[in-house]
Parts: sequence; C-alpha cells; structure tokens
Amino acid sequence: MTDEEKQDVTNRHSTENEKTEIFDKEFMPHINSMYNFAYRLTFDEDDANDLVQDTYLKAFRFIDSFEKGTNAKAWLFRILKNSFINDYRKKKKEPAKVDYQEVETFYNSEDVDRQITPDLRVEALQDMMGDEISNALNALDVDFRTVIILCDLEGFKYDEMAKILDIPIGTVRSRLHRARNLLKEKLTEYAKKMGYKNT
Amino acid sequence: MSHQPPPSPGTPSTCMEMLQAILDGDATPEQQVQFKEHMEGCMPCYKEYNLEMVIKELLKTKCCGQCAPPELIDRIKSQIGSNAAS
Repeated sequence: MTDEEKQDVTNRHSTENEKTEIFDKEFMPHINSMYNFAYRLTFDEDDANDLVQDTYLKAFRFIDSFEKGTNAKAWLFRILKNSFINDYRKKKKEPAKVDYQEVETFYNSEDVDRQITPDLRVEALQDMMGDEISNALNALDVDFRTVIILCDLEGFKYDEMAKILDIPIGTVRSRLHRARNLLKEKLTEYAKKMGYKNT
Repeated sequence: MSHQPPPSPGTPSTCMEMLQAILDGDATPEQQVQFKEHMEGCMPCYKEYNLEMVIKELLKTKCCGQCAPPELIDRIKSQIGSNAAS
C-alpha cells in the first residue's frame, strides 16, 4: 500500500476524536452563516434552530464522506438546503407557493429583462438606512432569494452555488440575473415611497 | 467585424452577463480589462455597474451579522458529545 493509499484510508475512517476535531474546527465556525440562511428560508426562529441542528447532526453522521481540505461551508450549505426541501417543506405540508418552473418561464420574458436602472438611483439606495434591503430580499420567492443569499451575502462562487443547488452553472447565472432584477423592482418601489422620482 | 474571437460556450457574451461576472468575481483578468475599457465609453453599463455594486455592498452589510442563539450551539455540541460516546 502506498503512502497515498494509507492516507486515503485514514481520511475515510477517522477516529471519534478526529471527527470531533473536524466538527469543531471546520463546521462550527460557519454556524452564524448557517443560522442566517435557515432563518431567511423559514422566517421562524424555532424552525431555523431545528433546521440548523438537523444539518449539523447530519454533517456529523456523514462526516466520513466529507473530504478534508475541501470547502466545508459549501458542504454544510448543501445539506441545509436539502434538509429544507426534503424535510422542512414536507413536514410543514406547505408546497412552495409558486411552482418554480412557472416563475422561471414567466420571468424569462422580455418584461423582466428590461432596463430597470433609470428608476433606481444610487442616492436612493444610500438613503435606505432601515430594513428596506432586508425586506426586499425576504419578499423574493425562495429560489430567487436563495441565489442572492449564496452569492451576495455568503460570497460563494458560481461553481460552488451550482453544487449546493444541484443546477448547472448557466442556470445559476440566469437565476441570479433575474433575482437581481426582481430585487431592483422591489427597491424601486421603496424608493418611490421615499419620494424619489424617476430620473 | 470584430477583432475579438467569438465567445466560447459558457463565457459571457453580452454586456450584462459580463457585468454580472465582473461583479461576482467570476471574470478573467482579460475580461476585467476589456469591461473596464468598455465602461469608459458606455454610460448605461457604467451606471448599472455602480448600482449593482452598491446593492451588493448593502446586502452584505444589512443582511448578514445575525448570530446563532448560544442555546442552539450548546445543544448541538452536547448532542455530538453523546453521539461520539455511544
């Protein structure tokens, strides 16, 4: 057996001590980001707690399939996203309010790809000191909200997002583009309420 | 017509796609230079880029920073402890 193979075997069968060490050093540092993600998916503190706890317990149970040195944060986010879809949504017996395919087809129209910029100015955004941005994000449909969270809040790259969401990179790009346009529409509404007129 | 070779599959082909790639750090150094030059002469791209940057920055400062409850952290740690011991 080569050294490399020995190393491989050691990686796959960590001792309990090693597992706890990986857990504490690689997984726990992401707990605040994980909680923020869970809360913005569920909008409920108890549900967010449950979702994060389930995710971390699953991560520990499957720790042998985590490859050391790879992106622990992306791995954890993927587990949380899957738990949200498979467990949380089923448990709540609450189908997604809008069928995503329909939304994607609808927003694929020319309508949403038009230039929104002339209605929204940087100065208006800079005057939004309260929860406007957060509310605008929360108002987006869950699939659009998710790509903004992963990209803009958490700084994941497109290839990482593709793995977390199990979608092609091209879909990541187009979904992100549409999510941003929808977000700008929301922000434009707020700007109008604040008294900003169209330029 | 153009000096540029046609874009290969998966590379940004329009201004707005390029803008998004630049914004998200997904563009190559060559694409960054190319877009910077383009932006100097293209007002809509320049305005859009600045707007998107401000929104991205606002999202980061206003929507992060939430802390997981300490009880949640304690609960997870104690559960892992018991799992490890069994």
